[in-house]
Amino acid sequence: MTREKLSGAEIVVEELKDEGVEVAFGIPGGALLDLYDVLYKEEAIRHILMRHEQCAAHAADGYARVLGKTGVCIATSGPGATNLVTGLANANMDSSPVVALTGQVPTSVIGTNAFQEASTFTITMPITKHNFLVKRTSDLPKIIHNAFYIANTGRKGVVLVDLPTDILAGVAEVDLHPKETFAGYKPNIKPNQVQIKRVVEILANAERPLILAGGGVISADAAVELRHLADFLGAPVVTTLMGKGAIPENHPFCLGMAGMHGQLYANRAINECDALLALGTRFSDRTTGWQLDQFAPDATIIHVDIDTAEINKNMQVDIPIVGDVKLALSGILKLLEKKREKKTGSEWEKRIKKMHEACDSCVEDISREGASVSDILIKEISKLLDDDAIVTTEVGQCQMFAAYYYMTKKPRTFISSGGLGTMGFGFPAAIGAKVAAPDKKVVDIAGDGSFLMTCQDMATCVENDIPVVVCIFDNRYLGMIRQFQELFFDKKYSQSGLGITPDFVKLAESFGCYAERVEKPEELKDALNNAFESGKPAVLDMIVGKEDKVLPMIPPGGSITRMIGTERCKHI
Amino acid sequence: MQTHIISLLVEDNPGVLTRMSGMFTMRGINITSLTVSPCEKEGLSRMTVAIEGSESELEMVRKQLSNLIEVVKVVDLKESEAIIRDLCLLKVHVKDPEARSEVMQLAESYGAKILDAALDSVTLELTEEPKKIDRFVDLMRHFGVKQLFRTGVTAIGIGAGVER
Ligand SMILES: Cc1ncc(C[n+]2csc(CCOP(=O)(O)OP(=O)(O)O)c2C)c(N)n1
Ligand SMILES: [Mg+2]
Repeated sequence: MTREKLSGAEIVVEELKDEGVEVAFGIPGGALLDLYDVLYKEEAIRHILMRHEQCAAHAADGYARVLGKTGVCIATSGPGATNLVTGLANANMDSSPVVALTGQVPTSVIGTNAFQEASTFTITMPITKHNFLVKRTSDLPKIIHNAFYIANTGRKGVVLVDLPTDILAGVAEVDLHPKETFAGYKPNIKPNQVQIKRVVEILANAERPLILAGGGVISADAAVELRHLADFLGAPVVTTLMGKGAIPENHPFCLGMAGMHGQLYANRAINECDALLALGTRFSDRTTGWQLDQFAPDATIIHVDIDTAEINKNMQVDIPIVGDVKLALSGILKLLEKKREKKTGSEWEKRIKKMHEACDSCVEDISREGASVSDILIKEISKLLDDDAIVTTEVGQCQMFAAYYYMTKKPRTFISSGGLGTMGFGFPAAIGAKVAAPDKKVVDIAGDGSFLMTCQDMATCVENDIPVVVCIFDNRYLGMIRQFQELFFDKKYSQSGLGITPDFVKLAESFGCYAERVEKPEELKDALNNAFESGKPAVLDMIVGKEDKVLPMIPPGGSITRMIGTERCKHI
Repeated sequence: MQTHIISLLVEDNPGVLTRMSGMFTMRGINITSLTVSPCEKEGLSRMTVAIEGSESELEMVRKQLSNLIEVVKVVDLKESEAIIRDLCLLKVHVKDPEARSEVMQLAESYGAKILDAALDSVTLELTEEPKKIDRFVDLMRHFGVKQLFRTGVTAIGIGAGVER
């Protein structure tokens, strides 16, 4: 600790550097002039000027998901802060560590409807893990330090720090880099050993064990432990949307994503297992379906989660373990290895092999009856990208096609808006991802409707040389809405058609992006190559059919045991 | 449905009440009574919250409250293991001397204090368990309750004071 006399803005920047911040995504404003004045001469922090604050939050979120390191976004008071809201809610729902800094009117006029005043503190309370309204310049070191500590420990999430202008401009003599934390925040990390013993007992004796891997496996960096346990137990792994990448999807034990738009046999496995080890998942209805008594009816359900409040929230479980997934998995493995030999050749393993093959052929055999252009395009993308490439998605059919067909090989390479389902997330998240990993290819699998919600940030990409590739699934529809109207609302296409504008190629070109239209799947390979070769941010306008459907699926309100549209799956 | 009393130790910051009550609002749970006051530790406040809900709702809320950064401690007080008090101030109409003496008598038997007396009313204070206050107020309604104020419950665990 060093005692220094600094302005609030200087303290903020000093603390950001101390927390290891290298990049911030933001837009300045009147309330932040002091902060931006300090950032102007600061070389350790790269500030990327976004074109919309929502994108700043999504970019910080994407950055965080790729690196596991806290992303930072900055917005001015009032409209800047309210524009952040969607992005913050999105990151918090998916437990992504983000710190948001917002400007605020001077403390002396807070609550008077001053120019560009919004009560950011109250607005963001329910969509953040925690937030602060700073009242004294001298409080800044402790608050900024704890913002980062809270955001990236326990169940990760968003912390917002609201910074009134007089606090930023004010000068205080402070001790920088304090280590003091708050008494009320003690993240639960160490799993209970007694519970681990109970779990080992169950798993050791299970005939048909199954692992359900959620986003918690990825955020705890527990992919290696997961694979060891699956191998040792002879247990197949199914994932949630957030868990995609927790295990390579071509691994013989991986049955892909389960749930509403998941693989038929991933859901079947849940139905058939006698012990279900659920890791870092909150049993969202997208994963469980809506008839909970039909979810893993024969299984002893074990739930490992870092957040106590998730235990028995959506699903009544038999054995809970509260704690870090990585620690829990290594604890389980250690005891299990002492208890018995590695299991091979069980009936269940044979069954899994068959199910895996069925899933595989379902995904591989693209020329089969009912395969659509969208299916084929995702398959192609999956084939053309290397294992390290990062895919982000928008929301809609495009997202679910990607979830179904894109073969994710590594953790932190499939980035999608799970909890909030935010259209417009994929593109700015791709920007954050590319900034986090400049050497990796980054592709946004986009819907035309979604892309239009945040496409102005093509300017950010071009200006800052962030060459991401946007692959638009151009069906001129809010396709997912259309699909639901077709299947469940008598084909009454109420407000789901997007009409003919814009010309995405011209739009992208006007920003200085590389752009190309892909009329047929055969053209994709060259187009994608051209896009990467161009070295520029690129947009591929891929024409797909408005009638393409994401199938099979669990109809809303339905049970995980009853998917519709399974004609196209291979049956065993 | 059952009444649960949750005792919270929270950091004494602006906004902590909003954060706490927002938790209940989000889950659609009605707070039936709430008191906030300083406590034995500097910088911390004690909140006593009474809610109606099922066991599982209580369990959920208890965990989510503990997740709040400014909540230092959450104790779920069972009726059988706690001393629960509510303070009630009420102004009762007394139409004649007969009513007055009846009101005074009843007040005495309930241990209520007479704070003020006017020609046609008596002002009383009763600090008791909420149920007993309910009964007392019901009785007073026969005479006519002009005004009624209750602070809401506060509660303390019995015994040595070791909080679970
Ligand atoms: C911000 C936002 N608004 C509305 C929705 C509801 N919604 C879900 S999917 C969808 C359609 C998405 O259309 P598009 O991006 O073209 O993708 P497609 O389904 O056609 O592949 C809509 C409107 C949403 N998820 N997010
Ligand atoms: Mg579309």
